[in-house]
Amino acid sequence: MAQYFLEQARVADFVAHLLASNTVYAPHRKGSRSYAFAKADDPAAVVLDYPRTLSSVKKFFLPPREVLLNFDLTLDAASVPPVEPGNAVFLGVHSYDLAAVRRLDFNFTTGNPERNYLARRDGARFIGVSYVPDKFHFAGSVGIDPYDMTGCDMFLTKHADGWIVDIPTGEGSELAAGFKLEAHDEPKPPRAHFTQHVFVPQARLGKVMEASYDHPVWNETADACLGCGTCNLVCPTCYCFNVQENVDIACTSGQRERSWDGCMLRGFTEVAGGEFFREKVAARQRHRVYRKFKYISDVTGQPWCVGCGRCTASCTAKISIVEIVNRLIRDSERDESILT
Amino acid sequence: MAKPRVAIFDFTGCEGCELSQLNFEDQLLDILAQVDIVEWREAMDDKADEYDIAFVEGALSTPDCIKRIHDIRRRTKVLVALGACAVDGGVNAIKNLHPIEEVRATVYGQDQYLFPTLPALPLSAVVKVDYNVRGCPMTQAEFLRVFTSLVMGKQFEEPDLAVCVECKLNENECVYERGMICLGPVTRAGCNSHCTNFGQYCIGCRGLVSEPNLKGMNEVLTSHGLAVDEAWKRLQLYNAYRLQGVRA
Repeated sequence: MAQYFLEQARVADFVAHLLASNTVYAPHRKGSRSYAFAKADDPAAVVLDYPRTLSSVKKFFLPPREVLLNFDLTLDAASVPPVEPGNAVFLGVHSYDLAAVRRLDFNFTTGNPERNYLARRDGARFIGVSYVPDKFHFAGSVGIDPYDMTGCDMFLTKHADGWIVDIPTGEGSELAAGFKLEAHDEPKPPRAHFTQHVFVPQARLGKVMEASYDHPVWNETADACLGCGTCNLVCPTCYCFNVQENVDIACTSGQRERSWDGCMLRGFTEVAGGEFFREKVAARQRHRVYRKFKYISDVTGQPWCVGCGRCTASCTAKISIVEIVNRLIRDSERDESILT
Repeated sequence: MAKPRVAIFDFTGCEGCELSQLNFEDQLLDILAQVDIVEWREAMDDKADEYDIAFVEGALSTPDCIKRIHDIRRRTKVLVALGACAVDGGVNAIKNLHPIEEVRATVYGQDQYLFPTLPALPLSAVVKVDYNVRGCPMTQAEFLRVFTSLVMGKQFEEPDLAVCVECKLNENECVYERGMICLGPVTRAGCNSHCTNFGQYCIGCRGLVSEPNLKGMNEVLTSHGLAVDEAWKRLQLYNAYRLQGVRA
């Protein structure tokens, strides 16, 4: 496959080229030291070299809040608001976030197709970028390479002076058409390596999890955990939500709104009658980790964690999912060796 | 269906929550169209014998307060605590950290015997409270949610999750990333993370979540190199009543 080169100095020109005929979402600086995906407007404000964004691109397909239904109580009528079609270009996406989108695709097409998600997802084109793993990334351990261009229409690999460009799809060629890219035939620069690792592959993790239901790590983690739900809410593969209805002040019309929820939150586990089906934080921590490495993984054979490191990087209590999983691995291997 | 009869009362507080009600401006006429306001000292002269809904602002801090809140409870079908003072005792409860006689002497000096005073109490310490509207001043959006629920005869679901949730929904950078103390991880959401949206830290005005991990909170502060003592002073600003006997 032909390769091209995009000098760092021409990145803004390339963004401007994309903006001329597309809606583009890309990483921007946010706050003092963070990044967030936002609608590109000023090409110079787009950042391609970043560790991770606060939320993943999931937020464009499954928004933090969305209206599912408008209703009118006087007319006894309801209408479903139209969903804006996607058709956007997502520039600067890391491979783990794209892998997370593929997992969400599975979740939202299995059983009842999720109409709103699929409509927003429709027509999305992705321009991936490579990244240098920091102390929180461990995507390599869940089989997602920083240079993996699966699902990408274009892929930019970091180079000292800019970006090596791959264009694996026809959509990518269309996006690049009209923008002059130099041909590039040198080999790619040395690959960056992960410093964080989960010790065993998913094929063995299901067993490890099964043996760890009553492990002390859950209670120990719960001692430190504030139960704030941040780990759920920043996770690119979490998709649980709450639905609430609110009426306007005149009490004649209202909206049914869906918003992100999370299994770490106490209210999430409350059911009719005031019962809590996972009352202890320890049980919620276990559930969270099992949702990433056991429950869906037992069905699909894949970890439902993509190794982005957001849950750990965002945790004020500095709870590390890698440390939890590795401890379970170590202890289950020790137990096995005692048995055999 | 007859409009609900509403009465509004105040106890120890700054009347800021009542002012927030008057500040609805654009929505005030719509609100008034839904109910009959039968008693409201801050805004009108009339008095009534009984009401469907009583909105009560302020903490209880004198023997007379206790008598009055019992009287209001007898006259109303639904009692709603309005704002941090009514819900949690609010800033008034800071006085509870000192011996009551010392507080009385400091405030009233030689006239102290004319002014009997009690440790500040939230309404729920004395009477049954049906719903809370939290915040200092009360969160206006939450007032409207409680108000419309009551008018429609629906149960109001009080949020029991941390401000962190709303910060994540709004994709705010964590305040701890900026090296500041934030009470968001143990404070009840429902304000749409108003302060942190504007670059401020959370001061905890909506009170603690139902099961705050305060030991974990200490660890968070320590591991971020922040002052635990300072954070506890801030926690006591609105939570002194609830944290009585609890130590950093």
